[in-house]
Amino acid sequence: MTVVKTSLRNFFAHKGRMALSAVAVLLSVAFVCGTLVFTDTMNTTFDKLFATTASDVTVSPKAAKPDDTPQNGKPESLPASTLTQVEKADGVKSAEGAVGSTAVTVVDHDNKNMGSSNGAPTIAGNWTKNDARSMEITSGHAPRGPTELMVDADTADKHHLELGDELRTISVAGDFKARIVGIATFKVTNPGAAIVFFDTPTAQRELLGATGRFTQIYVTAASGVGDAQLKQNVTRTLDGTYKIQTAKENADENRKDVGEFMNVIKYAMLGFAGIAFLVGIFLIINTFSMLVAQRTREIGLMRAIGSSRKQVNRSVLVEALLLGVIGSILGVAAGVGIAIGLMKLMSMAGMNLSTDDLTVKVTTPVAGVLLGVVVTVLAAYLPARRAGRVSPMAALRDAGTPADGRAGLLRGLIGLVLSAAGGFALYTAATADKATDGSLMLGAGVVLTLIGFVVIGPLLAGGVVRVISAVLLRAFGPVGRLAERNALRNPRRTGATGAALMIGLALVACLSVVGSSMVASATSELDKSVGADFIVQGNQRIVPQAEKAMQRSPGLAHVTRYKELKATLTSPDGRTDGSGVTAADPTYADDLRRATTAGTLSAAYGNDAMSVGSDYAKKHGVHVGDTLTVAFQGGETAKLKVAAITDDDTALDQGARYISIDTMRKYVPAGQVPPNTMMFAEAKDGEQEQAYAALKKVLDPYPQYQVRDQTDYKQELKDQVGQLLNMVYGLLALAIIVAVLGVVNTLALSVVERTREIGLMRAIGLSRRQLRRMIRMESVVIALFGALLGLGLGMGWGATAQKLLALEGLNVLDIPWPTITAVFIGSAFVGLFAALVPAFRAGRMNVLNAIATE
Amino acid sequence: MTSAVTITRHGGTGGRTAVAARARQVVKAYGSGETRVVALDHVDVDIARGQFTAIMGPSGSGKSTLMHCLAGLDTVTGGKIYLDETEITGLKDKKLTQLRRDRIGFIFQAFNLLPTLNALENITLPMDIAGRKPDKAWLDRVVETVGLAGRLRHRPAQLSGGQQQRVAVARALAARPEIIFGDEPTGNLDSRAGAEVLGFLRRSVDELGQTIVMVTHDPVAASYADRVLYLADGRIVDEMYRPTADTVLDRMKDFDARGRTS
Repeated sequence: MTVVKTSLRNFFAHKGRMALSAVAVLLSVAFVCGTLVFTDTMNTTFDKLFATTASDVTVSPKAAKPDDTPQNGKPESLPASTLTQVEKADGVKSAEGAVGSTAVTVVDHDNKNMGSSNGAPTIAGNWTKNDARSMEITSGHAPRGPTELMVDADTADKHHLELGDELRTISVAGDFKARIVGIATFKVTNPGAAIVFFDTPTAQRELLGATGRFTQIYVTAASGVGDAQLKQNVTRTLDGTYKIQTAKENADENRKDVGEFMNVIKYAMLGFAGIAFLVGIFLIINTFSMLVAQRTREIGLMRAIGSSRKQVNRSVLVEALLLGVIGSILGVAAGVGIAIGLMKLMSMAGMNLSTDDLTVKVTTPVAGVLLGVVVTVLAAYLPARRAGRVSPMAALRDAGTPADGRAGLLRGLIGLVLSAAGGFALYTAATADKATDGSLMLGAGVVLTLIGFVVIGPLLAGGVVRVISAVLLRAFGPVGRLAERNALRNPRRTGATGAALMIGLALVACLSVVGSSMVASATSELDKSVGADFIVQGNQRIVPQAEKAMQRSPGLAHVTRYKELKATLTSPDGRTDGSGVTAADPTYADDLRRATTAGTLSAAYGNDAMSVGSDYAKKHGVHVGDTLTVAFQGGETAKLKVAAITDDDTALDQGARYISIDTMRKYVPAGQVPPNTMMFAEAKDGEQEQAYAALKKVLDPYPQYQVRDQTDYKQELKDQVGQLLNMVYGLLALAIIVAVLGVVNTLALSVVERTREIGLMRAIGLSRRQLRRMIRMESVVIALFGALLGLGLGMGWGATAQKLLALEGLNVLDIPWPTITAVFIGSAFVGLFAALVPAFRAGRMNVLNAIATE
Repeated sequence: MTSAVTITRHGGTGGRTAVAARARQVVKAYGSGETRVVALDHVDVDIARGQFTAIMGPSGSGKSTLMHCLAGLDTVTGGKIYLDETEITGLKDKKLTQLRRDRIGFIFQAFNLLPTLNALENITLPMDIAGRKPDKAWLDRVVETVGLAGRLRHRPAQLSGGQQQRVAVARALAARPEIIFGDEPTGNLDSRAGAEVLGFLRRSVDELGQTIVMVTHDPVAASYADRVLYLADGRIVDEMYRPTADTVLDRMKDFDARGRTS
């Protein structure tokens, strides 16, 4: 009991010193809980949505194999006769045919895309009774006739649409215009899909390009008939293969797709929370080490009057437990706040989320508190053990903190061995010739070098701090020297504080190297092999009407179509490969200059000819002149002669097999030809600029596609990578904030520990300003130490990753020196910032009181 | 209660008057109203230049407070304090810090040295902070006087308590301050080490012309001084010139007796 009482007293006596550790625990726990609440809320939103949109039983066409969905850009459909059959089944109250497609784009009269910009689909279909269960018409009426449509209220709000506005719907079946006659509002939250409704004949004609066909049949059960029973009945009635799902099965299937995506987000964010926790551990270790050191005399006294080691040990752990509990509970609360903040952020990005759906599962606070407490107690374990080892004699010794002398040889040895093993793993990864083995080695290397550096950090601190000081602090004379000595005084503390910063910055450096290498590699590849002046692509495949518009654009020397076809190849060795072929115009050979290992690429665009990639050729022993059997999906089976083997040492179109559009036409019926994946164009000599402007103008009505010349393409690539990096940096900011708290913590506790010294220095004439500068410089040195280690380590990781990814075409290593330099200089400012409060407080100390401190 | 013994200075920064520091009607009080405690009660004192002055008195007599106020470490509630001709009461922290750095030396009872600096660095610290180069010849002489020549590269942790105090004395002397204040400088030392340190202080007065003010409760330590001031209840109640340990002890016994009977 006394142990607990002592712990409690100590904890509250030193609550100020615990504050920053508590904040570190709080932040990490908050991030974990925020992530859980946010993803759970998203899942709830989707669950509610899917639960209301699913009918009792849904009948859909079922492809023989999942890959066999049609490639012609129209959704798979079933005939109206199926609906008649279903209606006859026992227990069916009603059945209705539905038409739905996501292969559409809806634009307003300014050619502005009405779809979501954050990846949610645009869905077009007919207005059914089933839709009326989840949505209600809040304005106007349901669409009737070929010129009417209804739009969902969220989309209407977002784009200020009103009844009477005209919208154009673009699909493979063509463009057509209709006026808004109704607005329907979801009864639950629709996270972001844009939805338009037509009447049934219009939907069939404009989306499927056919009459009397549906994409799904919604079946409603008669009263007293369960969904499972109904499914059985419907299954028995139908001949032919269909996918028949109960409401639950349908919702589960939809949820699975979303759930997988949410899990990716969840685990990625939890990963960053984990990094923050890791960094927080250093902070906690430092706090407890310093508290134990400061309390050495007190602990000695406790031991002298009869406390056992175990009791002393336990009293420190109880303090850690308290810290963990308080930090975690606050963290859970903050986590809910973070989740709400994220939802608000998402709303600003155009995603609708309602706080009504806020989901805090019981497991969330439990996991948060458990994690926070366990991590805190584990982190405090080493300092607690050290406290237990304090000898009773310490009570009699002079006060002051014993130096950490024992850092020594063993630590150095372990650190060196780990770092060396990590270095070797990285070297193996860099020279690996198989990506899978290499990435394993890379992972091992990253972890080993990180641990190695953490272990060896206190030993490196000596040398690195001296070097940094020699460059930076000498200019500041004796104050600089005092700062240097203070930073060197307790290498373990400096090492741990720097290591915390090192982790975050290493990841920043690594990712910046990889990201910038990605851009550099892609740019160099583009310069080297892309001949096309303009590239057209989007997240939807290019519909024929856009293709035609492009071909009419003035000033173009040629326009290249590029289609990906599903097909199964059989090589002479009898083995089959289902990864398809690429059909393009012969001009594609100029648009993307591919090196060949045998034959000439232009020959591959000849009649009944093709090319294969070098990897495939090697694997199957295929040579120029061999004949491959190509079974086109939805078409005939052809025998094509290999006319070229392309070199697969490239990042673009790696492994692609080319045939000409003309060859494709011979074997694939017009109705089965897929829309273009991308298109390319070349300007006539000297008309580059006019042609670019003209092409952009021609494709104006199709905002779902982007037209870019090479310069813009590179810029876009750079921007995308930059955006991705910024997002990751944003998430790493948490770890870096915790590390900065660690620097503040170390300084604040050091100032307390050195109160007497500070008093002495002030007494013999150190000015406040000099004192503050001394503390600031110590902070800067610690921060730069962490930065130097982190950046060095991270660049090593990044360079290794690049060498490894060179197998995937990441051929150019580009170290972003501006970023690295900025981070390094930024770290110095972080150091200054971290020292603000500790320096201010040290400056305000009363000289006499400070000297009189025990 | 004033004294004006004229002794020309040998070392230091050159004095113009015979009085190194003066206190005039100094009052130091803590708290207010019922809980008001007066530590110094209208104290007038002159510290003679080139002399070794000891301040004695029982615990709570205000002897340390007087020294702290004279040294610019503590502020006064009323009255004025002059260092040479400079009034230090009312100076802002910045000026006061500069004054301590350039014109005053300190020797505390314990924890006089920065553990991160070696003996020599500790000795030259006030000058380093001020950005002044130490006078090499003077420094050598000081180091020799306190007998530390062989230990200049040692860290405080590698020195005995006596040696540490000698480093502190050397630091106080090295910057040639106008006045050195010692707050029980031998309080933590055994009698032999204490005698050594006091010997150095005496020699620095005799040979270097240093002015020293020392707070102590040890009659033996006080006997090294030229003059002893007695404080009781925040007032100077007596003084003694050329004291010996015995006379000091007798005087203290008198005070004790008086204190008990009154």
